[in-house]
Amino acid sequence: MIDTVQAKLDDRALVRIRGLTTVLNGKTVFDALDMDIPRGKITAIMGPSGTGKTTLLKHITGQMRGNRGEVQVDGLNVPALPRDQLFSLRERIGYLFQNSALLTDFDVFENVAFPLRQHTRLPEVLIRNIVLTKLQAVGLRGAASLMPSELSGGMARRVALARAIVFDPMLILYDEPFVGLDPIALTQVLKLIRTLNDTLGITSVLVAHELAAIKEVADHVYLIANGKVVAQGDPKTIADDGSPWTRQFFGGEPDGPVPFQYPAGDYAQALGFKQGAA
Amino acid sequence: MSQRKSYAVGTGLFIVLGFAALAYLATQTSSIANSHQGASYRFDAQFANVGQLKERAPVKVAGVRVGQVQSITLEPGKDVADVTLSIDNTYNQIPVDSVATIYTSGLLGDQFVGLQFGKAKQYVADGGHLGLTRPAASLEDMLSKFVGAGGVADAIGGTYAVRADFTNVGALSVGAPVKMAGVAIGSVASIKADPVKLDAVVTLAIDKQYNQIPDDSSVAVFTSGLIGSQYVAIQPGGSPNSLKDGDQLVLTQSAMQLEDLIGKFLVNGSSSGGSSNNAGGNGSPNTPAGKH
Amino acid sequence: MSAQTQYNNLVLQTLAQIGRCGLFLLQILAAIPLSLRHVRETLRQLWFVGAMSLTIIMTCGLFVGMVLGLQLYHVLAIFGGSSATGSVVALSIYRELGPVVTALLFAGRAGTSITAEIGLMRATDQIAAMEMMAVDPIAYVAAPRFLAGLIAMPLLCCVFCAMGIFGGHLVGVNWLGIDNGTFWSNMTATVDVWQDIINGVLWKSTAFGAVVALIAVFQGYTTPPTSEGVAYATTRTVVASSIAILALDFVLTAFLM
Repeated sequence: MIDTVQAKLDDRALVRIRGLTTVLNGKTVFDALDMDIPRGKITAIMGPSGTGKTTLLKHITGQMRGNRGEVQVDGLNVPALPRDQLFSLRERIGYLFQNSALLTDFDVFENVAFPLRQHTRLPEVLIRNIVLTKLQAVGLRGAASLMPSELSGGMARRVALARAIVFDPMLILYDEPFVGLDPIALTQVLKLIRTLNDTLGITSVLVAHELAAIKEVADHVYLIANGKVVAQGDPKTIADDGSPWTRQFFGGEPDGPVPFQYPAGDYAQALGFKQGAA
Repeated sequence: MSQRKSYAVGTGLFIVLGFAALAYLATQTSSIANSHQGASYRFDAQFANVGQLKERAPVKVAGVRVGQVQSITLEPGKDVADVTLSIDNTYNQIPVDSVATIYTSGLLGDQFVGLQFGKAKQYVADGGHLGLTRPAASLEDMLSKFVGAGGVADAIGGTYAVRADFTNVGALSVGAPVKMAGVAIGSVASIKADPVKLDAVVTLAIDKQYNQIPDDSSVAVFTSGLIGSQYVAIQPGGSPNSLKDGDQLVLTQSAMQLEDLIGKFLVNGSSSGGSSNNAGGNGSPNTPAGKH
Repeated sequence: MSAQTQYNNLVLQTLAQIGRCGLFLLQILAAIPLSLRHVRETLRQLWFVGAMSLTIIMTCGLFVGMVLGLQLYHVLAIFGGSSATGSVVALSIYRELGPVVTALLFAGRAGTSITAEIGLMRATDQIAAMEMMAVDPIAYVAAPRFLAGLIAMPLLCCVFCAMGIFGGHLVGVNWLGIDNGTFWSNMTATVDVWQDIINGVLWKSTAFGAVVALIAVFQGYTTPPTSEGVAYATTRTVVASSIAILALDFVLTAFLM
């Protein structure tokens, strides 16, 4: 039964996660999680804070390993890959960090050129052309000589994006790409994600909270909570599927399946009242 | 690109500066500065006592350095030190009747060989010999007993054991050098207390090449250096018989108190009032010599 | 009882930390062949770690030499041996003060900046970004800094010693009036190239450089990626380096003498 489902998905899914279980510091982050990221589409992963969305991206890149289960990227089982194969897989994955993670020692040009210099022996002219092309794509060719400290948050994120696509990857992982951006910068990044996906045929995975932005850009949405996928589907209709999770999350309700109160002992007892005496 | 080049230049400068400093330290402030690579010639001189003269010590004429001490060996069968001097070819007009004297430069300084020119018209040639020598003067003689340690004989040819009893060995330790005329000829093999006579039984291991030490020689425990370790000195006697393995030296002189030595010296030599007072206060008689 | 447990925990934690540090050293050593591809990065670190420390090293070397000259001249004068100032200044600088003071300054100047830099790189995900770009951060970040420390320390120590001798000469000869020739001849008569300069200056300072660089890189690399963590790690680098330098100095002196 399961086999047939997998076989049907194989040609479409670039990333396949099966039965992923991860326990960190005694807390179960993922509990037999299953997920498929379709090829060539923009997939958004949403969920309440602390449900391990960034952790999930780290599993896809092999920075973290689960206790059980499979994470397959382009047919390769990531947790079982030896280091050199993992590194060659990572060369085909772009990763956009939440805080851009530009190398502070280098200017914008060298930051984008960094992966090229590390992995290729291309002539300087070619490196220059590739870097300027990528910078032009994100609209920052004129900022090539600035240092990262001179960039605004939105510009830094676009430089990081240019760096992430410098090898024309098959997959880009965006970790909270919209946080802290003003509406203009947010629209710019949105447009870039869409354009890159359409023109280069890149598969994109977005981790974000901004429902409006997701609705605009994503083709498919996963909502994860308590270590499982609790809802999935088209971003425009997912809020209407009627489950308590989607109602609370997309409706922005303070209490629901995600409790307002952090788990605690009995309130009356903590205040010193005898049980039943109050 | 230019940014990277400036790093490279700066780093290069730093490395060059570091190595220049190393070269400076190694060649200008160390003994290498003394070892002239220029041509030199050698001749030897015999001294009754070289004190603490070391190899590579300077040879000076009128206070000017003209060469260095090449080697110090003990003349086989005699209690005379054979010192080979290596002199720069520039100074090749040293009269054959010149006098070689061992001096100490300052109280804490090392010893050096001074040459006083004679009046002869012939000059010492390479491989020649300087007949007139003077061992360290009386002040130096006394100093020589406690300045500078010198090495222990290498004992390549095997050793023979000689026993000596002291009433007090002071801070003498096993392995300390045994010297004759200032040259190390052996080492202290063991120090034990005699349970009956209540004195210290010291066994000396003397190099076999020095097998013609008279059996009536006396031995003493001396301190080398103001703050240095102690060693055993053998003063040859006049007996025609030589020491053999297992013999005992009966004439012994125990360790002197360092304070007494300094006191003696400083009363004569120092201009510092404080030290003189100290020295004067400690000017007690020497520890009696333990003779059996 | 609880004090005893705390003490045991402290000992265990310290041991574990030393163990982790040792394993980290193995990782760095294993990554050195790979990091040779990043020669440029090593040179860049050599600039930051070495050349940028020159000012403080030279200034401190000069003053240490001057103070030594001043102190030793007066102490030696008591024994009528002030002419030996040159040799005693040289010996004390070569055998102890040069390597030790340079290493302590190096830990304060370069070690802390290495720790803070790597800590910040970790806090701002730069290390993770390198891993994501398939660049081994041990080979690209840790090993070049370690190598730079290893190379820079002996060079800095030589500069420090040269400045120290210069300072001693300045005070002893130009100020207190020791004869110039006496100063140098005494020094050259007592300083031995192997014993004092190779063993004293070079080996010791290389060992200190390795220890300081290792501790600095390790602390930066393993710090919790928060601003608080970086601040603590920087302090720990200075404390741990200073203890390690002085303890190692004793061991090395015992072995090399």
